[in-house]
Amino acid sequence: MELVLKILSDSLYFTGPILLCTLGGLFAYKSGMINIGLEGMMLFGGFISALVIFFTGSWILGLFAAIILAILLGLLFSFFGVTKKANFIITGFAINLLATAVGKYALALLGTNDINVINDVVRERSNLDIPIIRSIPYISDIFNGQSWFTYLSFILIGVVSIIIYKTKFGTYVRVTGENEAAARSLGIKVDVIKYLAIIASAILCAFAGYNVAINQLASYTPDITAGTGFIALAAIYCGQGSPKSSALYAIIFGLSRALALNLSLRVGSIAGLLEIIPYIMIVIVLSTVAIIRERKTLYRGFINE
Amino acid sequence: MKKWIEKLKLTKTLSTLTPILIAFLIGAVAIILAKESPFNTYYILISKSLFNIKGLLKTLHYAAPLILSGLAIAVSFKAGLFNMGIEGQIISSGFVVAMLGYRLASLPAGVLIPLLLLVGIIVGVIMAILPAFLKAKYNVNEMVVTLLLNYAIYSVLEYLTSNVAFFRDPSSGYVSTYVIGSNAIISRIGGSKLTIFFFIVMIVFVVMYFVMKRSKLGFEINAMGKNRSFSEATGMEIQKKTMYIMLLSGALAGLAGAGWMMAEKFSYTLDFSGTPGLGWDGMLIALLGGHTPIGILVAAIFYAALKTGASSVAIYTSVPAEIIILLQALIVLFLSIKFFSNKKTKKVKKEVKANGVSA
Repeated sequence: MELVLKILSDSLYFTGPILLCTLGGLFAYKSGMINIGLEGMMLFGGFISALVIFFTGSWILGLFAAIILAILLGLLFSFFGVTKKANFIITGFAINLLATAVGKYALALLGTNDINVINDVVRERSNLDIPIIRSIPYISDIFNGQSWFTYLSFILIGVVSIIIYKTKFGTYVRVTGENEAAARSLGIKVDVIKYLAIIASAILCAFAGYNVAINQLASYTPDITAGTGFIALAAIYCGQGSPKSSALYAIIFGLSRALALNLSLRVGSIAGLLEIIPYIMIVIVLSTVAIIRERKTLYRGFINE
Repeated sequence: MKKWIEKLKLTKTLSTLTPILIAFLIGAVAIILAKESPFNTYYILISKSLFNIKGLLKTLHYAAPLILSGLAIAVSFKAGLFNMGIEGQIISSGFVVAMLGYRLASLPAGVLIPLLLLVGIIVGVIMAILPAFLKAKYNVNEMVVTLLLNYAIYSVLEYLTSNVAFFRDPSSGYVSTYVIGSNAIISRIGGSKLTIFFFIVMIVFVVMYFVMKRSKLGFEINAMGKNRSFSEATGMEIQKKTMYIMLLSGALAGLAGAGWMMAEKFSYTLDFSGTPGLGWDGMLIALLGGHTPIGILVAAIFYAALKTGASSVAIYTSVPAEIIILLQALIVLFLSIKFFSNKKTKKVKKEVKANGVSA
């Protein structure tokens, strides 16, 4: 029982950043721009916040810096992908490479292997203790005492689906993604919509990076993201761009990470091998979803109904 | 007509050189941050690896696997298939070759070396089968699958190398497999770093040149990349070709891994493929070379020169060798946009915009 509770609680812990990236990626996906740079944007967020907190000791400044950098990255990606009509798959990939490169170069300049912020108390302060949840047995073990970003990420599932389906901005984003020419003919400023969607996705990725680097690990190394951005992309593909079902896949992937971690604590030396569980599981889920979809498709994209 | 062709080539060269220049300019800022002179650093970066014979041969040696991984990326990217699994395919092939190179060390070199190269190719193909099949048959996004498999492959190899006695060499000070036998080592030429492997790569290069430029498959690769559904409508067997292209890409990656093991590394360590890895280098090279064989050859040599130079930079200045990763990322970033397009496309784009049709 204790193990089950621990796994469920860890699932939420791991789901947080995946979910933030997924929801961020959704904005870009809906506007017709697949953002491969999720991973890099997240890594940049973790890097800059750890760096700022290391030098100033203030987590607010760290978070603020992460948001500013995210906006800049979003502008960069959109300027290339939207204004300059670049191959945005390559642009996104370049952002991933750049995030690793900047991190490694900076660490080499500082002469260290990681940026450790464990002394800057942010870790304790970031875990919320919610009185109502605390008093309920079991539920408390799972849901209480998570980082506030984890709660935020779950709240955002609702917020994002409302933004995408119920607001004017969301409608514009969807129209832009589905039929750019039609959107243009209606007088929608397609480019502006895309810029905004991409910047939104960059900011959510920065949150994910902050969450991992500061709340979870309290240190930055260039490999902290471990493919989270790509896992988020897989979740978006599996959920076909719907916020709720993509979020569901993000939670499944978080669960698989929690499973891998908790199993590996118990099995001794083959622990290292269990690290592959989440990746293999995601490939299996992604394939299964695609196979089911393929079965429903009669001929080149027409759905068999 | 002739002038027009010349102009086109000029814009092509310019649009390749501009991203490099911009990347170097931004890189200069990073060098200044390390309190060094950019001019001096860049001079060391290039002069040690291009302007003397010893350095040049070293550069060519490092270029060999890069040419292969560049071709591997180009073949698939050109067909619109984003095979990001090159990295995973290279390290798996390197690992298996390291293991067999140690276990079969008693075989004569004339048998062992070709055998291991073949094994490397086969391993590369095997690692590509799953994503290729999923893409061809069920249209599963190959980019996400190959990227995630890379993480899985790396973890498995890390586990095998560090925890399994059959693979790990206990006498080595760090995590490493047994060193391959001397019969499995591809010999060097004279006193230089250059090995026969470079010439094997050149043969493969010539073959690939004809495959990409002159063969039916090359034409089909192009057609698929331009318009997948149209190619299918004209009667191309898209599923089969997708399979072929992904496997060909895997084979090239596998050969790169095998050669890199036998000509340079001799045992599998956790940084076998370096940072950011031969597969990612291949992506830069394919882009820089415009996905054409000759372009890739030039780009691979250029990039190998930078890589070789980067270690000199770290020795002679206080700039970290990581400057090379930074330059690489910046070049890829600026390569994603077209700085110069010829007038014809500009005009079409203008018309498109005027009619409100998305380009």
